[in-house]
Amino acid sequence: MKKITNFILKIGDMDRRWIFIIIALVVLLPLFFPIGLPIRPTDSTQTAYDAMDDLEHGSNVLVSFEYGPSTKPEIHPMTYAVLRHLFKNGHKVYITCLWPDGQFMAEEAIEEIAEQEFNLTYGKDYVLLGFRPGNEAVVKGIVSNIRKLYSTDARGTLTDKIPMMEGINQLVDFDFIFTASAGYPGTVEWVQYGADPTGVPMSTGVTSIQVNEVMPYVQSGQVKGILAGMPGAAEYEKLVGVPGIGTSGMDAQSIAHLVIVLFIIFGNVAFFIERQRQKKY
Amino acid sequence: MTFGTILGAWVAVFLTLAIFSYLYKDNPFYKVAEHVFVGISAGYWASMFFWTQIQPNLFGRLWPASGYNADSFWYKIYNGLHFLTSTVFPAGGIDKGHDMHLIYLIPFALGIMMLLSVSSKLSWFARWGIAYTVGMAAGLRAYGFLNSNVIGQIKGSAMQFVGGDIPFFALIGNSIFNNIVILVGTIAGLAYFYFSKEHKGAFGKLTKLGIYFLMISFGASFGFAVMGRISLLIGRFVDLIDYSKAQYNHATIWILVVMIILLGYNAMKDRDKNLPVSKDVA
Repeated sequence: MKKITNFILKIGDMDRRWIFIIIALVVLLPLFFPIGLPIRPTDSTQTAYDAMDDLEHGSNVLVSFEYGPSTKPEIHPMTYAVLRHLFKNGHKVYITCLWPDGQFMAEEAIEEIAEQEFNLTYGKDYVLLGFRPGNEAVVKGIVSNIRKLYSTDARGTLTDKIPMMEGINQLVDFDFIFTASAGYPGTVEWVQYGADPTGVPMSTGVTSIQVNEVMPYVQSGQVKGILAGMPGAAEYEKLVGVPGIGTSGMDAQSIAHLVIVLFIIFGNVAFFIERQRQKKY
Repeated sequence: MTFGTILGAWVAVFLTLAIFSYLYKDNPFYKVAEHVFVGISAGYWASMFFWTQIQPNLFGRLWPASGYNADSFWYKIYNGLHFLTSTVFPAGGIDKGHDMHLIYLIPFALGIMMLLSVSSKLSWFARWGIAYTVGMAAGLRAYGFLNSNVIGQIKGSAMQFVGGDIPFFALIGNSIFNNIVILVGTIAGLAYFYFSKEHKGAFGKLTKLGIYFLMISFGASFGFAVMGRISLLIGRFVDLIDYSKAQYNHATIWILVVMIILLGYNAMKDRDKNLPVSKDVA
């Protein structure tokens, strides 16, 4: 028993750099040797999928990119899966960005999905309206008059000359909003200034850290489902039927979580043993 | 594969490993990556703001191509600016699909006032711009929060407790039991933030219950935060593995080896410096 206690105390006193090495290993190994742990869509992912799947063929969907390279591993796989789903169902996709680097993420996603995979036409099937600074004021601008805010698209073409912009003047002209968000401005601003005042249904994909902040809107029905971080992306990929980066990262994610939980348990046990010993002496 | 792509991969690998090297200890690689990041971010944001907002939406409305008249005083100013920089002010006015709106001179002036904050004598001008921004943001946010966070959330927490077709108990989803938990949690959580009454007796017990609900929420937040960080780590590792392939000239392996050698050499030098000086030598 004493041996076990000493071992736990030793772990509790471990140099933090050993923990970094162990975490690096448990993340790396499953990437080299995948186990293929099962992925089961949660209710919130299923709700988001159903909301987009139920849209009538040829609906106008506004997809907003509010993330950058720093959160790309979490959000990018879900935007790929969502765009794939929307294009597969023949919807028109209008892309806006509240973050400047969101425009690069959008360009990368449409190049790969819209152009290479679906061979769609720019301006007819999808349009990249691009970034506009102003945070929630941009959402308000889209609500009242999108033409005034976006007189040109991201490629410098006048929006009046883009065929799919015909009949699109304000947010109510869209049938659905999907926001891929990593913080402020993002999902919360779209709920407050976009979806709630106009009644246009919306769904979202967010970073894991944002889930708790956005979940109340999902619970109350203000947001139709949520894709929560990389697991959300993996679940959506499963529903769409095309596995991607989200799916391949899930083994590493699950094992890393298990190891972190073990560290937390050992750390706590070591803390209580140490406290007990201090009380004794 | 183009030279630019390969070079980009090498830069990405170097910056990623340089940031990771901080986990060992603070070192020059980390400092380089940190400074490069701050500099590039500032430059990128400034450029993006200028070319997506100020040039098309401000200058484009003050001197639009649609109203161009070379003889007018207003466009003579424009031609002067065109002489200074034809990239920002192209010949014949800015064609971004706008008509002329001189009202935009007001935000233009407020913007310039904000920039005056760098001068100690004229910095008071910046208050006008800040006052406008604060006032506008406060008005805009008050409505958003009231509508979505107050009214929307009150509506959302108005739930069914008796009758209907929902089950009494379900682990996930809508059930009478879950609705009761949400109601109790909401009331207890709100009670904790009520400070006009001392947290004692029955009210104290309710606020204590509120603390437990809040702690569960913080626990969930922590779990999600861990999940997010691991996802980002996976993303970087996926890229590093990709860049270690022959088509990128094994960028990850080379940079990792060189970095470890240099950090090891540096650590040895530091250790030699910190060795106690022998008495004989002294």
